[in-house]
Amino acid sequence: MASISTKIGSFSLENPVILASGILDETSGSILRALKSGAGAAVTKSIGTDERKGYQTPVISEIGTGLLNAVGLSNPGVDNFVEEYRNFPEKKKTIVSIFGGKVEEFVSLAKKVERIGFDKVELNLSCPHVKGVGSEVGQDLGMVEEIISEIRGKTNLQIWAKLTPNVTDLISLAKASEKADAYVLINTLRATGVEIYSRKFVLSNTVGGYSGPGIKPVALRAVYDVYKETGKDIIGVGGIASWQDAIEFFLLGAKAIQVGTAILYEDYPIFNKINSGIRDYLDKEGFSKLDDIVGVMVVDATFKNH
Amino acid sequence: MQHSRIIELNKENKDVFTLKFDSSMAASPGQFIMIWAPGGKEIPMSLSNTSYPPTITFRTFGETTKTIAKLKVGDRFFYRGPYGNSYPVPTGRVAYVAGGTGLASVNAMVLKYGGDVYVGARTKEDLFLLRNDFKIATDDGSAGFKGTVIDLFLPHVNDYDYIFVCGPEPMVKTMLDRIDRKIKAKVYISLERLMKCGVGICDSCSINGVRVCKDGTVFSMEEVLSLSEFGVYKRNEAGKIEFFVNGKR
Repeated sequence: MASISTKIGSFSLENPVILASGILDETSGSILRALKSGAGAAVTKSIGTDERKGYQTPVISEIGTGLLNAVGLSNPGVDNFVEEYRNFPEKKKTIVSIFGGKVEEFVSLAKKVERIGFDKVELNLSCPHVKGVGSEVGQDLGMVEEIISEIRGKTNLQIWAKLTPNVTDLISLAKASEKADAYVLINTLRATGVEIYSRKFVLSNTVGGYSGPGIKPVALRAVYDVYKETGKDIIGVGGIASWQDAIEFFLLGAKAIQVGTAILYEDYPIFNKINSGIRDYLDKEGFSKLDDIVGVMVVDATFKNH
Repeated sequence: MQHSRIIELNKENKDVFTLKFDSSMAASPGQFIMIWAPGGKEIPMSLSNTSYPPTITFRTFGETTKTIAKLKVGDRFFYRGPYGNSYPVPTGRVAYVAGGTGLASVNAMVLKYGGDVYVGARTKEDLFLLRNDFKIATDDGSAGFKGTVIDLFLPHVNDYDYIFVCGPEPMVKTMLDRIDRKIKAKVYISLERLMKCGVGICDSCSINGVRVCKDGTVFSMEEVLSLSEFGVYKRNEAGKIEFFVNGKR
């Protein structure tokens, strides 16, 4: 049977299917459940310096091609997070997503989670619907570069940079983030939704992020572009709901993938379902391991490093 | 988001209303909908009748419920759902134990399957949806038994084959602490937690990784007893842990 293990930087995963940040990963109990359900790793909901309630409801709206959300980075704040996760048993399989408005904030968050034993952070440089953080920070190339090199210099954490697709020049953004161990591509697309009988916006915040099947082609393009230019480790995310979707991302250069919105459709069994689908595909197509298909459609990846 | 016309809106008591709406949704007792006051908040609400036409019964405690209580017959009522699982179909002797607006949820069962209903409220003025045969407990003794619905019900616990419970978490916790765990009756509990999405993805209502909105809201007593966080702490809108009064252990 083909091997579906993979490696992101120096992090070895038993399988390449990771729980994406923002879906069922605020509470420690839910992270454990995702890992027990077959996720190779899990990313927490984004944690900031202070407790944040997020936006008032409605914070989600289902549409035909996916989901709109503007949860508003609700999180208990890093000190309460540290309190809850101090004795968490799966720190090595859990990547802490952090967000902030300043370089020092990111560094301070990173140090606090490292102190209780986590060794990986995902930088939320891409939440599209909160002022002063997320994609507003993530579009400032100088700041992105500084955040990453400061965390690199002041901690031993592995750094995943989750980049925003809401820019015209993703390559420059990727290059500004090149000191990260891996790119996570993509976050949600900035979007809105309308309810025609009340003539109101469907999200209390008016603008939110669009995720789910409808954004997969955009995510694939982002992975393709960035892999071709950089050859770095990429974790693909955006609209993945099946093993076939996952394979598409691998062929374009992703070494792992994240699943979020699709849990709405398939619930927890989706992790094992995608994993066994990937394994079957590799077997039937005559590959012995996942790495054999990573980036094979991207012939001119400049720095192909595996 | 769906919408239906309001068929009836009745005031049950000083601040509890029942809204009947023209929807042919297929729902089962125990399920809930997310109700929306356009331009305002969206909140979860149990269906108090799941046959046509469905109803919700709610206390006006916040902005959304206050706005909806002011709607008129014929107005549009916005919601999505139904969501969540439902109570199992009972056999034999059936009891319902409801605290506060928990009665709304079990009412859908009472209408469908009947049985003995034990209701608890603070005072006579807080009671609603009453029927003559309901067994009542009030904190101040202004109606029925003076004390909690748990005190009223527990002496009769062995009379039943199925027991359905819905009420505030501290009430349910008290009941679980005091009930004989080896009773013959099958006990099912509908839980209440802060919900944002209603569809099992936001993690706001999770208890030990179990989602009240998607894995529940109805759980067996054994399932609830296996949740170490239950009755001990809940989470606020930020996901921060907040202990119940006397909840720390």
